[in-house]
Amino acid sequence: MLSGWPPPVLDPAGPFAGPVTTVAWVLFIMGAVVLTLVLVALGVALFGPRRWKRRVAGEKLVWIGGLAFPVVVLTGLLIYGLSVTARVADTPRPGEMRVRVTGEMWWWRVAYLDGQGREIVQDANEVHIPAGRPVVLELESADVIHSVWIPRLGGKTDMIPGRRNFMRLQADEPGVYAGQCAEYCGGPHALMGLVVVAHSPADFAAWRVKQAAPAAVSGLPGAAVFTASGCGACHTIRGTEANGLAGPDLTHVGSRQTLGAGILPNNQGTMAGWIADSQGIKPGNRMPSYSVLNGQELRDVAAYLESLK
Amino acid sequence: MTSETGFDVDKYDRFPTTEPRPEGELEQLEQAWCGPRSPWEWITATNNNIIGVYYVGAAMLFFVLAGVLALLMRTQLALPMTGFLPQDTYNQIFTMHGTVMMFLFAVPAVEALGVLLLPQMLGARDLPFPRLGAYAFWAYLIGGLAFFCSLFFGLAPDGGWFMYPPLTSMTYSPGINADFWLLGIGFIEISAIAGAIEIIVGVLKTRAPSMTLDKLPVFAWAMLIFASMIIIAFPSIILATLLLELERALGWPFFDPLKGGDPMLWQHLFWFFGHPEVYIIFLPAAGAMSTIIPAMARTPLVGHPLVVMAMLATGFISFGVWAHHMFTTGMPQISINYFSAASMAVSVPAGVQVFAWIATIAAGRMRFSTPGLFAVGGMVIFVMGGLTGVMVAMVPFDWQAHDSYFIVAHLHYVLIGGMVFPLFAAIYYWLPMSSARPLSERWGKWIFWLMFAGHNLAFMPMHLTGLMGMPRRVYTYLPGRGWDLPNFISTIGAFMFGLAVLLWVIDMIRNFRPFGPREAGNIHDGPGLEWLPSGFYSVRSIPVVKSLYPLWDQKWLAGDVAAGRYFLPGAARGERQTLVTSPLNAEPQYVLRIPRPSGWHLFGAVFTAGFFLILTIQAYAAAVISGVLAIYCIMRWCWFLDAPHARKTTEIGAGIRVPNYVSGPSSHGWWAMVIVLIVGGMVCLLAGFSYVFLWSRRPDLWEAPPPISSLLVSVGLLAVAGVCALAAPRAVRMARDGAVSAATGLLVLASAGVIAASIVEGRAWWTTGLRPEVSSQGASVYALLSWAGTFAAIGGLMGLYVLLRRLFGRLASERPSTVDLISLFLAFTAAQSIGVMLLVRLFPGSGI
Amino acid sequence: MKLERGGCDHVPTMRTIGALLLSAGLCVALMACADKANAPRPLAQTDAAEGLRLIGHHGCAACHAIPGVRWPQGRTGGDLAGMAARPLIAGRLPNQPAVMAAFVRDAPALLPDTGMPPMPLTDAEARDVAAYLYTLDDD
Repeated sequence: MLSGWPPPVLDPAGPFAGPVTTVAWVLFIMGAVVLTLVLVALGVALFGPRRWKRRVAGEKLVWIGGLAFPVVVLTGLLIYGLSVTARVADTPRPGEMRVRVTGEMWWWRVAYLDGQGREIVQDANEVHIPAGRPVVLELESADVIHSVWIPRLGGKTDMIPGRRNFMRLQADEPGVYAGQCAEYCGGPHALMGLVVVAHSPADFAAWRVKQAAPAAVSGLPGAAVFTASGCGACHTIRGTEANGLAGPDLTHVGSRQTLGAGILPNNQGTMAGWIADSQGIKPGNRMPSYSVLNGQELRDVAAYLESLK
Repeated sequence: MTSETGFDVDKYDRFPTTEPRPEGELEQLEQAWCGPRSPWEWITATNNNIIGVYYVGAAMLFFVLAGVLALLMRTQLALPMTGFLPQDTYNQIFTMHGTVMMFLFAVPAVEALGVLLLPQMLGARDLPFPRLGAYAFWAYLIGGLAFFCSLFFGLAPDGGWFMYPPLTSMTYSPGINADFWLLGIGFIEISAIAGAIEIIVGVLKTRAPSMTLDKLPVFAWAMLIFASMIIIAFPSIILATLLLELERALGWPFFDPLKGGDPMLWQHLFWFFGHPEVYIIFLPAAGAMSTIIPAMARTPLVGHPLVVMAMLATGFISFGVWAHHMFTTGMPQISINYFSAASMAVSVPAGVQVFAWIATIAAGRMRFSTPGLFAVGGMVIFVMGGLTGVMVAMVPFDWQAHDSYFIVAHLHYVLIGGMVFPLFAAIYYWLPMSSARPLSERWGKWIFWLMFAGHNLAFMPMHLTGLMGMPRRVYTYLPGRGWDLPNFISTIGAFMFGLAVLLWVIDMIRNFRPFGPREAGNIHDGPGLEWLPSGFYSVRSIPVVKSLYPLWDQKWLAGDVAAGRYFLPGAARGERQTLVTSPLNAEPQYVLRIPRPSGWHLFGAVFTAGFFLILTIQAYAAAVISGVLAIYCIMRWCWFLDAPHARKTTEIGAGIRVPNYVSGPSSHGWWAMVIVLIVGGMVCLLAGFSYVFLWSRRPDLWEAPPPISSLLVSVGLLAVAGVCALAAPRAVRMARDGAVSAATGLLVLASAGVIAASIVEGRAWWTTGLRPEVSSQGASVYALLSWAGTFAAIGGLMGLYVLLRRLFGRLASERPSTVDLISLFLAFTAAQSIGVMLLVRLFPGSGI
Repeated sequence: MKLERGGCDHVPTMRTIGALLLSAGLCVALMACADKANAPRPLAQTDAAEGLRLIGHHGCAACHAIPGVRWPQGRTGGDLAGMAARPLIAGRLPNQPAVMAAFVRDAPALLPDTGMPPMPLTDAEARDVAAYLYTLDDD
């Protein structure tokens, strides 16, 4: 099988993407048919026998081909499009699970909300959802405009400073769905990935309980290095004194799929590489490279962070 | 046919005249219109034949430069995660590619085509404001080159060609890169507007007599609609750049949500310009297609009136589709539905044109010389772009396709098929007219096929990369997603396209070599007046036009025109002249004396460009000096306008005499002033919209206006100023001593009045404690007042100017144009100020 | 959706067949490289292509520039180009296949002060990775 095929947009994994894929195929077929018609008409006009040419030579062709036909086709498409729009873009309903995703340069702050809209769990760069039911994302921005796009789950919605947008998301099956920032946000915009992880409902409940818990007290030497290096100024690890807010919450960073906002696999090796040289891997991002750590310290911090499952 | 101006249309039957032309007439004409003889004269030239070629050449230079940027980007994206271009360089390059292609290539290129072709097509000797045209060109060239060079210093803007705040605000773009964009582009827009004024007045007022609107060539229609759209759309981008620059430089929060601003305001303003912009680019190119295809198929355009109607419809509908660039911003459902419908509707007129072209090809026999190839190839590409356009007008699909490579594919299909290919068709078709030497046909075919194949190879795969999830404006991408192969193919295609352009450049250089024969003549058997034998003076005599395709239908026309048997066959008194006609039926109204080359417009352009560029690098003192010099040069250039005439009338052939001077709504100057005021009014209207928009976002921030008493004072002052201004044209026409002085006095009073009112109103707001940098209300109120105040200040300069003219005896009762135009400006300024003040005082209705 | 780049299976029964094929391939390779000074060091029963896949999968390139991996080309660890020809691993350990396989799996066990953390690899996987590194000749 070819890598990248089928294209995610044509490989929907939920009810907010499926109808759009149908729309896409209808549009592709429409495009192919109309293009064929135009090319046939053009071919006749250019090379056809005189008798055929005469049939397309009049103003009648302009009225029919240029006016009547498009009006009919477009009206049909419009009605179809509006009905799908209304279906897919249904406004959020009370009682639906809510997750607040805030775009930051160049990562995503994620907060799970309770029924009253209070934050219960903080996380970053990953949105965990239960499969088979809709989840509402509240989209905000902390700096410039970003846009959330998870092609297999649906279209994109912008995150605009000073505004709050909503996006409904549903994955029918458990799995991992890749996404990326779609609105140019400067610097390493190209490396601002997002991962949606859909769990079975039972797994999701378990995940949520685990996620809500603070980090276990750790006797690993890396915990001390983490504190001594001042990492806590930007990062929070709940249950420790690290309570910085500028960067991603690291309470359960070891359990994440990726590092650096969707760009690296997550293990001790990549963690060490990221800490030591985040500027080399993702130039321009807001985390400085920690080249002051010696090999052992670096390894210890990486081991400690990976232990935060 | 009833007459529009009282001109007896039966007089057209006197042409062609039969009596022999007087001795030396042609020599005098050639003498009056002689070409440049020294390098200085080449630089200061104003003739459209020269400026037009410069203009097209400069636009193509920017096309090549922006194309090189595209190749750099394609090299970077050929493989995943390459390090060919660093991130910040790539971000600058993609921003510059879009910006340069849109602002420095596409719009100027079609405008240039108009400058070059319109006088010839309309049978005029030159455009009505040749120095304005030259000014626009030089400002554009100097400004554009300096703007481009910012790349070499790493100072090029990097916020994308759409420059969305807050990314482009001071917080996230602290360097002067963004200022280069805002000042550079804002200023180049002014040059585009100057060109548009030239084109509108040229098409409406300098057509060959008898060229009624139904005989107006379709290209001229396209240019007329194009220029009108510029007048309506460009004020929006001018306002947007002004507001963002105010926010960046002075901290006025139009887009900063913390102080009541809204980034969406920028998007509305930008796309209210940005979408019509696409059709602004497309329409002239479509007009060229509608001209070239009939010529290559040797048959009239099928459905000519339908095509013209379609272009008009495009112009109108295109102003109602801007928000389809914003479907993902969380707009209300109702707006989404409306803009979706309008976006689909706008494709209908394009379909009408495509089928008119097909029907025309069928009605005739298409010749497959290079212009024909480019026309047909462009049509095919454009249709494909149109179809993907319909796809993205479908909102659910757009949510997926938006900001992905699918859009990159779509827009390149539309713009390359709808504008670049037609432009190449136009160059291949019209170059023999301009340089009297055709381009190589053999090379032309190679260039076409390379370009056609290269285009499809480059952009077809991008549809797929978009559906695979690749977003736009990424400097690189991760491997392993299947994006590698389509990107690699795209890069190969891009280089094929680049090769085609390179071949074309070589052939163009060959074509403009200064030696060898130049005798192409009407090699395509083209039907338009531009194919008449011509020199720098355009046609020897201005013909009576009896059909849409005069050279096909009026058999002896070329010979008679060259023999001087039609209108204005000479240059009376050795002056450069053209005939001004009425806008609907093109009845001769008067002879316009065309100014000769001079250095003032050139210096004006240099200092205007200097002002904006120096402002960007924050050398404020130097910028002010340059600005003052620019104003001086422009006033100096105006000083010699409206000069006395030796005779009251001129014989324009067959014993017909028309005046040498006309004032009021018949004059070309009046039309130009009205258009300028429309531009100003549009900016003001959109600023008013911004005010209401910002209020609707945060009504809680709105504070009470100052007490009503001050409003009464300022509105009273403005009312008096307006009455004075309106009375001045009547005063100057009074047949008694002191008329000129009275008019001068009235105008000076009026200018003093508008300035005083601005000061009174500004002070009133200032004393309430409202400050522009504190809230969106402050920012928008002071922005509106500043706009009105700037007009008042210009009005003040005009008052000074009219006073100086009076002192130096350059005003006269029989030449009231100067007074008329300044009166128009001041009356408008007063009305605009009243509108602004009432809006900020009475809306939303608090505190009266 | 994961892409199996090498196309090689890990079922143990397939291993023997693979080893046979590989040794045949190695013979051919050895003959091809007969004139070169540094032939790839043989590692029995390994699959260099699988090694490359594992390198990509675990993101080794976050710290190392590795020929064959386009990104990220990290700078924290050493550049691994020409690894096959180097006399030492990390400048201190003898560059021998067994040491290499042990080192990529658990570097701190061999060099306590190294910055390279232990990697989640099985023994066989570590040997595959080492096999790939031994294809990295200078030329």
